[in-house]
Amino acid sequence: MNSTKVPVIPCSGIGKSLGSVTREAAYELCDTLRPDRTQLVALSKLVLGEEQARERVRSGLSVTIDGCKQMCAAKLVKHSGGKIAREVAVFEVFRRYKELKPEGIAELNAAGKQLAGALAEEIAAYIDEISEGGSHA
Amino acid sequence: MPNPVQRKAGIVACSGEELAEGTVTRLAALKVLHELRPANTVTICLPLFLAGGEGDRAFARFHPTITVDGCELRCAARGTEMYSGKPAASIVVNELAEKRGVGKIEGRRCLNEAGKQAVDVTAQRLAELVDQFVGKGETSERATESVPVTNEAKVAACSCESGVSVTELLIAGETVELLALPLVFRHCQEEKLALEDAGEYLVQNVKIHNYVPPEAEASYREAILREYGAFCARKESR
Repeated sequence: MNSTKVPVIPCSGIGKSLGSVTREAAYELCDTLRPDRTQLVALSKLVLGEEQARERVRSGLSVTIDGCKQMCAAKLVKHSGGKIAREVAVFEVFRRYKELKPEGIAELNAAGKQLAGALAEEIAAYIDEISEGGSHA
Repeated sequence: MPNPVQRKAGIVACSGEELAEGTVTRLAALKVLHELRPANTVTICLPLFLAGGEGDRAFARFHPTITVDGCELRCAARGTEMYSGKPAASIVVNELAEKRGVGKIEGRRCLNEAGKQAVDVTAQRLAELVDQFVGKGETSERATESVPVTNEAKVAACSCESGVSVTELLIAGETVELLALPLVFRHCQEEKLALEDAGEYLVQNVKIHNYVPPEAEASYREAILREYGAFCARKESR
């Protein structure tokens, strides 16, 4: 494991499209855009208190991506003793991309995937800033 | 005896984002919830057991709950038991897939053919378990009702819309939390029972979702009837 990678934790939301957007955005970010700088952490492991996952979120600043106002990912990272560089709420991001209305849960529609892509791009730019010694952290 | 309140099976998926098997749990749960047994199932996001409120943590006490995990860590099964209640049954995808001869599951973002096959196998097993715990194929309006939101009951407000109402009642001088009281009250109203005849129905249905100590049953009946009277009065005044 590379400890310098930024832990990325999406919310696991299963009831609405915005939960699927968090997951898709996390995959786009960690698998495609910034695989060298990010590492996906399963939220379910933090629910369980799995030690390796807790250590990963404690080892540096995390990025959380939540689909609803419950902000489960952000709460669980804090509960695990981690610190958050950026708490992303997809419903806030959606306000800036109103033309991209996500639909579908098991299979996101094209707009939902585009919203996830736009979100992932924003987070990637932010991670570049903090990785290169920006002042956000 | 009037019909009892219909129960639904709860499905909790680990949704593990790191593994392809986690994606299988999520898609299998959604297939059961939306296609195979939509009338008989509800779900909750696993993290809500920690991040949510009492109504969320009551989930597995209220619904016979089936957990579905991607790997042997069994985050959903163990997390549900730690924070909500013991699951009625548990499935682990990689064990089930091996037993059914499914090939290597790959592609956490986009499942390969074996992964898609694992979704079908897991969903079928989930549906069998749902049938075992709450019966099969109930599609009446009653079966599709959700737990009502009232001013008095605390419920979850998550996007999975799965909160269970928790109502506090003063019973024999002590504050007691009861699950699903508004749901029981609404069904009692639909049965059109007179207030003086409603006591037995209410207590029997409250017992489905809550433990009622035998020695305190009379006190519970009195308090529940009083609350039911208030519930009816509020409904009439609207």
